[in-house]
Amino acid sequence: MKHLRFTAIAATMVAAAPVLAQSYPEGDIDLVVPFDPGGSVDVTSRIIAETANTLLDGATINVVNRAGGGGVVGQTAVSMAQPDGYTVLAMTSSVVTNPQMKGATYAVSDFRPVALYNLDPEVIAVPANSPYQTAEEFLAAAEEQTMNVVVAGIATSHHMSGLAIERVTDIDFNYIPTKGFGGQLQAIAGGHADAALWPMGEAAGQVGAGVRILAVASEERDENFPDVPTFEEAGIDIPIWATFRGWAVPEGTSDEVVQELSDLMQAVYETPAYIEKMEAAGYDPVFRDAASFETVVNSYAEQTSAIIEEAGLGQ
Amino acid sequence: MELIALGFQTLANPVVVLMLLIGVFAGMVVGSIPGINDNIAFAVFIPFSFSMPTDQALALMVGVYCAAATGGAIPAIVIKVPGTASSLLTAEDGNAMARKGFAGQALSIAITSSVVGGLLSSIVLLLFAPSLAMVALRFGYVENFALAVLGISSVVGLLRGNVLKGCIAALIGLLIATVGFSPMTGAPRYVFGNVNLIEGIPFVPLLVGLFGIAAMLDLMADILQSRSEDETPTALPAIGSLKISGRMMRRLAPVWGQSSLIGNLIGMLPGAGMLMAIFLAYDQAARRFRRLFRGREGESEWGEGAPEGIAAPEAANNAVTASSMVPLLSLGIPGNSTSALFIGALALHGMVPGPLLFTQHGDIAWMIIVAFLVANLFMWPVAWVVLRTVSRSIFAIRKEAMVGVIALLCLLGAYSDGANIFNMWVALVAGVVAYVMRLASIPLGPAILGLVLGPQLETSLNNSLVISQGNWLVFVDVVNHPISAGMIAVSALLWVVPVLMGLRERARTNATEET
Repeated sequence: MKHLRFTAIAATMVAAAPVLAQSYPEGDIDLVVPFDPGGSVDVTSRIIAETANTLLDGATINVVNRAGGGGVVGQTAVSMAQPDGYTVLAMTSSVVTNPQMKGATYAVSDFRPVALYNLDPEVIAVPANSPYQTAEEFLAAAEEQTMNVVVAGIATSHHMSGLAIERVTDIDFNYIPTKGFGGQLQAIAGGHADAALWPMGEAAGQVGAGVRILAVASEERDENFPDVPTFEEAGIDIPIWATFRGWAVPEGTSDEVVQELSDLMQAVYETPAYIEKMEAAGYDPVFRDAASFETVVNSYAEQTSAIIEEAGLGQ
Repeated sequence: MELIALGFQTLANPVVVLMLLIGVFAGMVVGSIPGINDNIAFAVFIPFSFSMPTDQALALMVGVYCAAATGGAIPAIVIKVPGTASSLLTAEDGNAMARKGFAGQALSIAITSSVVGGLLSSIVLLLFAPSLAMVALRFGYVENFALAVLGISSVVGLLRGNVLKGCIAALIGLLIATVGFSPMTGAPRYVFGNVNLIEGIPFVPLLVGLFGIAAMLDLMADILQSRSEDETPTALPAIGSLKISGRMMRRLAPVWGQSSLIGNLIGMLPGAGMLMAIFLAYDQAARRFRRLFRGREGESEWGEGAPEGIAAPEAANNAVTASSMVPLLSLGIPGNSTSALFIGALALHGMVPGPLLFTQHGDIAWMIIVAFLVANLFMWPVAWVVLRTVSRSIFAIRKEAMVGVIALLCLLGAYSDGANIFNMWVALVAGVVAYVMRLASIPLGPAILGLVLGPQLETSLNNSLVISQGNWLVFVDVVNHPISAGMIAVSALLWVVPVLMGLRERARTNATEET
């Protein structure tokens, strides 16, 4: 009798598994933002959740802020969560570098990329009253004299993009680490430094006032700034340097769940109101599915690990 | 003028005005609860604001932001537990005055000072926002370093008696500020492999511990002492009459002007923040008090119930609220961590703060500015209602129960900043440390100042020297950095003048002894 009951339970479990997957999601999904409310990841996540919740039937996406340790606290929590698709991480590029740089205990392979929704390419920005009108002028001058370049902090993605430029040119920069975009903007708009390495998302809002963008590290020129050349056009042999934002789930999550979530993100992306909101908030919405997102993650990991090793950054 | 009218027009919607009023009320209550501050309140509120119309959401936030700084003074005065960090200094003279039976007077001075400071700074914001923003841009790394030096020099004014202990306290603060990954090298410092410390010791829980938990331990010691002496614990001071005399108003007017000016200037400068403004204003008021009133008949000692000790920090902290919007709205540069949350709220509604905000979303930009003015007008009546209802019922609780409630609220507040258990430990440890410091009579003020200014001192010094190629004289370069040179000179005076005065006094007493 006992034996029979066991097999019965086992049988139900086996039978239940695919059914569960098909009916996913049947409960609320926690979208973990590992930063404080009001930041770029939080804002974009809330815009996505709002649209996604109009598409979901019988389930809700809740944005959960687990801030601390520069993102590591929330990221670690998701890496250890049940791989059932009910805990999703708002994944940023920092997941790639944090194990090496900040001593995070997880590995990038502890996450399964689900979908990408925003790529933020690096730009070289100068004060509006800077003598350098073009990227060529700036680069030529930088070979003669050491430029003071504002970055968010040593060993951040922005600092690394500068190191990457140094690798492919004869230039050496003086890095001026400044925490917070406000302080960095103050330094550039006030003309206290020569240039800044910024993500396009933040730089774009300041163009036309105190800031001029000289080059963007993406394969194509930005639609909003057709006169700004790409890094390659400006003579910097870096086809792309971009931080990314997307969704990831803990490793071990089933293919079906990853597919469901990726489809959901695609449906969000195809909603006109969503595109409008993202653009108004200053983010360029894109969509890449799980496989394509994984390629982005891997190539970013390759780019950064070479630089981290060469420059002797990290612990 | 037309633009200002546009702001009023946007605000004139009854629902928006109602939201502003609710915000002022909520801010006052949030501020008056130890352990919960406007930062935590915003973190909770921003997700909700998403589903509200932009004008309503921002009106509510302006109300909370303005009033929280005022509400913090209520528990600071009645139970010597600052409701927010901005009323840290108010607790000294405010509570001393309350214990002498003038709680109503103290509260009234605090609220009136807040309203005056807030109104003056709203008017400055209304009339000069875009042109003042240009002043903020003149502050580079060199100027920021000089400003931080000026801030830390204001410690002198806080020291009563032991200078050595004050300096030790400031050093403790600076030392704690070094915890976390170094922005200069990217290397970990005193992190001990704990990921929670990567960005330094979490600041909000740290403050909650230093004020809330420490004050709770103090209350507990009070209760235990009166028990062991077999007395009934002294009751909390009754609030009493809220009237202040015209004579007092005239006496405080110069302090209000001076403190509001300091608050306005500091608020405009990114990174300096509210705490620095209250310390600087307090320092100036202390000097004035010693010059004019000390030793007169019927006057208290400084720190033991001087009205200037309440008026200065309260006028300054409310002056910071509106002026911190100057660089935020005009340049997209937040003046402090709370106003930084406005950026998030604006972005959620599809607006990017910065120079283009006034052209693209002029109605909202001007509404925010006008809302600051109106919120300050709401403040007095709302404060009166809160004191008569909410505060009265809170302070009617037995002291023993209040200890438990404050402890719970502090831990809750610490936790809700990032939903992290680790933060509760930070608050607890910080509270115990602050309590031990108090027992050793090491002042807390200089430590907080060191804590707040540490990162700014470090990065601005490093970056100034990198840019100037290691030239230390850059800070006193009158030609290229006149602002910095001026601030360094004032800082030097802050240190030297008291020493000279002391020497002169000693010489004079020696002279009288000889004759």
